[in-house]
Amino acid sequence: MRLLDRFFSCHCSGGTAPDAGCDHEGTLLLIGNPNVGKSALFNRLTGGSATVSNYPGTTVDVTRGSLIADHQVWEVIDVPGAYSLEPRDAAEEVATRIVAEHPDAVAVAVLDATRIERGLYLLLQVLEGGMRTVVAVNMIDAARAKGVLVDTAALQQLLGVPVVSTAATTGEGIRDLVGILHKAQVANLATVRDRLAGKTPQTRVNLPGCAGCGRCG
Amino acid sequence: MTSLSMDERWSLADAIAGRAVRTGVYTRSLADALGDLTISPLTGIPVAFAVLYAFWSIFSSFAGDLATDGFMVKLFDAHWLPWLQSVWPDPQSILYFLFVGDPAADNCFEAFGVLTSGLFVSIGVVLPAVFIFYLTMTVLEDSGYLPRLAVLADTLLHRIGLHGYAVVPMILGLGCNVPAITATRILETDKQRFMMMTLIAIFIPCGAQLGIMLAVIPESVGLVIFTLLFGFALFGFFFSRLLPGENPEILIDVPPYRRPTIENVSRKLRIRTMGFLREAVPFVLLGVLLVNILYLTGTIDRLSSALAPIFVVWFGVPPETVGPLVAAFLRKDLAVAQLSTIPMTAYQMFASVILVSIYFPCVATFVMLLQEGWKFLGGAILALMTVVFLYGGLIHLAGMLLGVA
Amino acid sequence: MKKAITDLEYGETGTIVEILGFRQELNSLGIRTGKNVKMITRQPIKGPVVVIAGDVQVAMGCELAAGVVVDLGTGGDR
Repeated sequence: MRLLDRFFSCHCSGGTAPDAGCDHEGTLLLIGNPNVGKSALFNRLTGGSATVSNYPGTTVDVTRGSLIADHQVWEVIDVPGAYSLEPRDAAEEVATRIVAEHPDAVAVAVLDATRIERGLYLLLQVLEGGMRTVVAVNMIDAARAKGVLVDTAALQQLLGVPVVSTAATTGEGIRDLVGILHKAQVANLATVRDRLAGKTPQTRVNLPGCAGCGRCG
Repeated sequence: MTSLSMDERWSLADAIAGRAVRTGVYTRSLADALGDLTISPLTGIPVAFAVLYAFWSIFSSFAGDLATDGFMVKLFDAHWLPWLQSVWPDPQSILYFLFVGDPAADNCFEAFGVLTSGLFVSIGVVLPAVFIFYLTMTVLEDSGYLPRLAVLADTLLHRIGLHGYAVVPMILGLGCNVPAITATRILETDKQRFMMMTLIAIFIPCGAQLGIMLAVIPESVGLVIFTLLFGFALFGFFFSRLLPGENPEILIDVPPYRRPTIENVSRKLRIRTMGFLREAVPFVLLGVLLVNILYLTGTIDRLSSALAPIFVVWFGVPPETVGPLVAAFLRKDLAVAQLSTIPMTAYQMFASVILVSIYFPCVATFVMLLQEGWKFLGGAILALMTVVFLYGGLIHLAGMLLGVA
Repeated sequence: MKKAITDLEYGETGTIVEILGFRQELNSLGIRTGKNVKMITRQPIKGPVVVIAGDVQVAMGCELAAGVVVDLGTGGDR
């Protein structure tokens, strides 16, 4: 029902006509396990604009929207929740394909602060794929309530990619997340292992969102 | 880029977590205790029934009494219909008949026009039901209750070849079959999806039907529901044996309870309701148009005269029931109401109500099945005819053995 | 002492030592060797079993659960 689609959605909330083609800064892929608050995060980033459509040939829905920040427009794709990019069901199959189709996108890895190991597993797969990545440690409010502390600075220094903590339900950290999108980095897992073993000195920068790439001097 | 093995990756993840995460003293919260209570069968099953009953009450009072009968009927019958009847030219033309319906009709149900009955059924009756059920589902989903419900249901559902999560379309189907058909997409395999769609379309009565049954035949409602559910389980069991395909075991994450936020719930609700309006409504209108064309060409009359003797002999119901059966294609609840005006024995009433429920999905459900795929629809119709003959015959047989038929 | 998850008593804890089948699927949800598990509940007549493994709670069908072997001797806290 293409005609009706136009009434119910638009691809750019910037007010331009649906097919005019907005000037996209790039694409963001929200990648994470199911039940980590990814769709709440998506809603915070994209506001009201979102279209839901079937990934062709499947019954899996993919939600897309736009993020407008500093006069730039990002296309945001809420990738179906997945535990692994070695797919074992339809949703993971679609997630894997979307990741493969957008090698130049920025991956926003969304982790549940209260259940972080599974999220880290997926994050490592994303990093192995060589995508520029930022990490959002979500549900930080629930973690606090449970007495779980996530040291985002340590995580950032270990991984070499920007890490922020967020609570999509309250809006905490969302602005920080948007602010670091440009600083997304490709990670080097060999270096990560070295850092864990204590062989390489950690980067000395402590600024939030800075992964110490050194380019800003 | 290095590529790690599964185990290497897990070790790395553990090592990173060890460095970056510090867990404090674990205190058991109310949410944790509730979580365990609701997933253990002894406490969980009563809770599940209580939750479903609560939502059923909200549903029937809001969607049934308030929205449909209170508001929609007035809107459509008192305003939309007379207005349309006055502005549409040439009451004797075919176009008038197709789109506005019977010029003598004074309510949208009996008019049978695309713009009258079609719009009334989809927007006046189905939409409020769908809205309430989507609201319920979204709250249950966002709070984290659904996986626990699926675990409780899986014990039985796995036996008939379905997955615990199949309970979601089943519950939706009790409100209205239309969103339930779409909801079957959460199931993994085609076989499960097909089974679910077919079983729902045949055996799950929608809220409107249940409401009327309670009003018109309150003493038999329990037996009707039992017979339908028994049929669901019985034929589900056979379908799962006969159809090729696997039934994977349940393996799901059980998240902790979290408070749903208004923003998330309303956003999901908006998307789902819009999806319904976009996907279902045009097809319902198309369905009514088709029924009208069939009616004009006399096909329906020929069908009912052909089928009447079969119904009378095989099912043991009086020939007058054929009329309501045709109406049931549009709205099953009013078909049941029409049935109640025909003088019949208790057994005949019971059998005809069952028949109305299972013999064919209502037009909205029919088009949703079509939307899922020709093959699914074809298979469903085939299954349906088999079920109607076998089960209908079985019921008649039981009735005869008990001496009531 | 070793048991399959299906044989665990309510509240019993232990460490996973072996996974006999569907390792990839179980691993991705967090059921893996070395993890400490606690039995939460099981359903009657061969229904699913629910366990807590580390910080996640998982429900699995009884055939899946029968393939996960747990050593009770090393039940600790994590």
